[in-house]
Amino acid sequence: MAAARKHKRVAVSQPGFLSLKSSTDTSELNIGRKKRVNKNKKKNWNKFSDIQDVEEFLDDVRLQERATGGLIADKSDDSLFFLDIGESKKKESLPTGGEEEDKKKRKNKRPLKVDLILQANSHIPAPKDILAHQQPNAKKLRRKQEQAEQLAAKGVVPRRERLLELRRAAFAAGTPVREKTVPNNNPERAYYDLWGDQPAETADGFYLEQTKKKPVKRPEKLNERPSELPAIEVIAPGGSYNPDFFSHQELLREAHEVEVKKLKAEERLERQLAVNRQELATEETTFKEQIQGLLDEEEQDEGVADEMAGDEEDTGMVSSSQQEKKTERQRKKEKADKLKEQQRRTEREVTSKRQQLFQLRSIQLELKKREQRTRLRQSRRKALQLAQKTQPRRLGRLKFQNPDLDVQLSDELAGSLRRLKPEGSVLKDRFKSFQKRNMIEPRERAKFKRKYKLKYVEKRAFKAIT
Amino acid sequence: MGGLQKKKYESGSATNYITRNKARKKLQLSLADFRRLCILKGIYPHEPKHKKKVNKGSTAPRTFYLLKDIRFLLHEPIVGRFREYKVFVRKLRKAYGKAEWTGVQRLRDNKPSYKLDHIVKERYPTFIDAVRDVDDALAMCFLFSTFARTGKCHVQTIQLCRRLTVEWMNYIITSRALRKVFLSIKGIYYQAEVLGQTVTWLVPYQFAHDHPTDVDYRVMATFTELYTTIMGFVNYRLYQTLNLTYPPKLDIKSEAGLKAEHEEGYAMDSESYMEKLSALSASLARVVNTAEEEEAEADHFPAEGEDVADLEAREKEQKEQDAQKRLFEGLKFYLNREVPRESLAFVIRCFGGQVSWDKSLCIGGTYEVTDETITHHIVDRPSIDKQYINRYYIQPQWVYDSINGKVKLPVEDYFLGVNLPPHLSPFVEEKEGDYVPPEKLKLMALQRGEQPGEEDEDDEEDEEEEEEDDDDEEEEEMDEEEAEEESNLKKIEHQRGQGKVPSVKVTPGKVKHEDRKRTEQEEQAEEKRLAIMMMKKKEKYLYDKIMFGKKRKVREANKLTAKRKAHDDATKTDKKQKKAKKTQ
Repeated sequence: MAAARKHKRVAVSQPGFLSLKSSTDTSELNIGRKKRVNKNKKKNWNKFSDIQDVEEFLDDVRLQERATGGLIADKSDDSLFFLDIGESKKKESLPTGGEEEDKKKRKNKRPLKVDLILQANSHIPAPKDILAHQQPNAKKLRRKQEQAEQLAAKGVVPRRERLLELRRAAFAAGTPVREKTVPNNNPERAYYDLWGDQPAETADGFYLEQTKKKPVKRPEKLNERPSELPAIEVIAPGGSYNPDFFSHQELLREAHEVEVKKLKAEERLERQLAVNRQELATEETTFKEQIQGLLDEEEQDEGVADEMAGDEEDTGMVSSSQQEKKTERQRKKEKADKLKEQQRRTEREVTSKRQQLFQLRSIQLELKKREQRTRLRQSRRKALQLAQKTQPRRLGRLKFQNPDLDVQLSDELAGSLRRLKPEGSVLKDRFKSFQKRNMIEPRERAKFKRKYKLKYVEKRAFKAIT
Repeated sequence: MGGLQKKKYESGSATNYITRNKARKKLQLSLADFRRLCILKGIYPHEPKHKKKVNKGSTAPRTFYLLKDIRFLLHEPIVGRFREYKVFVRKLRKAYGKAEWTGVQRLRDNKPSYKLDHIVKERYPTFIDAVRDVDDALAMCFLFSTFARTGKCHVQTIQLCRRLTVEWMNYIITSRALRKVFLSIKGIYYQAEVLGQTVTWLVPYQFAHDHPTDVDYRVMATFTELYTTIMGFVNYRLYQTLNLTYPPKLDIKSEAGLKAEHEEGYAMDSESYMEKLSALSASLARVVNTAEEEEAEADHFPAEGEDVADLEAREKEQKEQDAQKRLFEGLKFYLNREVPRESLAFVIRCFGGQVSWDKSLCIGGTYEVTDETITHHIVDRPSIDKQYINRYYIQPQWVYDSINGKVKLPVEDYFLGVNLPPHLSPFVEEKEGDYVPPEKLKLMALQRGEQPGEEDEDDEEDEEEEEEDDDDEEEEEMDEEEAEEESNLKKIEHQRGQGKVPSVKVTPGKVKHEDRKRTEQEEQAEEKRLAIMMMKKKEKYLYDKIMFGKKRKVREANKLTAKRKAHDDATKTDKKQKKAKKTQ
């Protein structure tokens, strides 16, 4: 291999280098043709430049350092070689009696196999763990500490401690530090003078606007009431707990009229939905329907054919007349007629204008009439608009429905306040009033919808009974 | 010609409106939250003039809002609170699901809440605006304060409403602002004049409600939330105007009076204080102790464009009002246990009367039944066992009718077991030519200071006839007569008290005076006739028409009165027949 060859070269280039591994020179075995590669690209440099010899050399260096603690070449001969002079005679001189004890001692002294395995066998000490000694942001922290010390010397307490101190003081005083917002329906909530004199805004308008501290102006239109109806509509005098006879009758009549109207609407609906007897199929008509198209086919066909023919003729006539061209004479005549007509009209206009001078009175009258009419219309429209303002509007899917009139019949009326039975619900009245005044849209209660069908199963216990 | 083709629905009304769903999405709120926000901010849906245009060609019924309103809503800080609340609910649900009870507790402690103060300020820039709109708030507060604590709404809301209504009633009492009361089958309507604004409110009767199913409680609760805030601030300001301490405190004197009666161990101190306040029987403490009823006579100057007659009319009205305010002054009422205590106590105190009740009925009664100085004992039962001689036993309607009539009505119509005269609505204002029920006519005569005897003549005659008819019932009749005599005496006394001398002597100069009047009238009539003669044809036509309309109205009214008379006669004969039957 070329790499091996190079290795050798590198090793040789180092004066006095001894390689540890015995290099098996197999390089000569496969010397093939050199592959030609363009070296004008960095990628190719990396890919095809042969650096194995360098790497092997370096590996060898590392190995030597690991194994012996330095390059073998640098070692002194004494450390590498020793003189073999056979076994020492010390062992023999030792007394035989304590042989076993000795063994034991040695066994005790010998480190455990596990420890041996785990022992570092490299002669190079492990690199120092720098991170273990380093502190992140040490510099910054040091500076901070210095600053704090300086401030402390001046007598300035850091914010955290200050707040802590405050909290402690507040606790001692028995007042909560941060005031919790009380829910709106807290019965003990405190009120204050909302419309009192506010301290005048000293901050810059632009600043307030940018920091969203300035309240947005309420559109003027929002201050209009959605309806002109009063908030509380007092019940009619007939609704008194002890009413005057006639006002009570009046109220009853009103309620009655409402009821009648409802009934009429219902009846009308029923009438419209009812099956019309005359339109029902009789035996005769069903039979006719069944045999339709079976009898006198030919006659009908003929009739249809005749009609078709007539149509065609008509269309032919129209087309022929349209195609005919006007003659020059006709054209001229038409033009002259037109001119004449125009002249006549202008003349007439002129004369009528002249005549109008004598009709001044009648014209004035007419003008007056017209003005009056417009005034009338205006007033009517205004009245209508005013009436519209008190009307409930259509605000959603449902129309507003007037609540039932609260009425007590003559025999339900209590003679005294003690025996009075209140009629209707004030809650409902308020709710309907909101709807009537267009403050909320009329809605109906959401219908209960089951997600799945109910399944009826007879339980065993139930079965046992039945 | 040329230019770009205009696209449909890119200008005009289609761009001025926004559907509810789109608005909701723009604000990133759920429907419930959106609805709540709209109610709080006073933004109501609109009905566009051209629905099809606004709806981009579709005719489906939708709820529309003005786009500008929704844009305005975008700036509302409460929207953020709503979102926070949503997150809070989610967290809470999660904590519950995981059964982390400490977490639940912690979340509960930090429950987000919001304030409506800035909204109230924004919607009502001045105090008087808020007073003008306080009707709704009052009605809702009174309604919610009567709810049972059954979980239909928060108990705290009910308590708050109760507190606010008590504060309001105390204010009305102290300022003597009440004008009209109407007992209807639905509830009690009150009308007061607060800082020149007429405020009407409806108080339901104190019975258990059956909760209607077709009412959206959430919407109502939202309205109440806003209204309680408004009410609180209004109350604060009103108390300030009268120099009263807020939150209201009882006067030291009256509190001491109450304490003597107060049994130990009735309730917790704070609760019993609230109840004492709500008893309405004691006056409130003032910030600066001023002498009571120190009213300086205000100088009246005619405003520009106001003639003397107007001024006089106004002064007269003022005088009338003052008289009405002192209607029950010096009277001592005692309420039996079956009458509506709160309403009566409120009403009586509003007109300067003193009121008390049995101590088992409610805390805060100031004197006992045995008190000799009680003038009126209000009872609502057919008879009572032990009667004191120096007081009237009357039915509660007397109090209300007197207030509406602005005079102390004769008591004999309202004695125990007597068939009551109808309770007329004070909210009806009859125009000229309308039908006026005879009871009202009587009342009006009383108001003018006339003796009702003239109109009662026929009644008395009837009674005489009755006497002739049934001699057997002399005992009862005698009683009635005695009562009548008493009442007549009382009336004369009353008149004397008012400073009027009953006219006994005939003055000769009166005839002349009448003559001058008559000549004046004749002159006026002549002038009118001449004016009619001088009218143009068109004006004449119009005048005739108007007169015809008036006459028609009068005719109708006459018809109704005739009917009424017939009805009354019929009932009378019925009664007689019944009596006759009884005697048989």
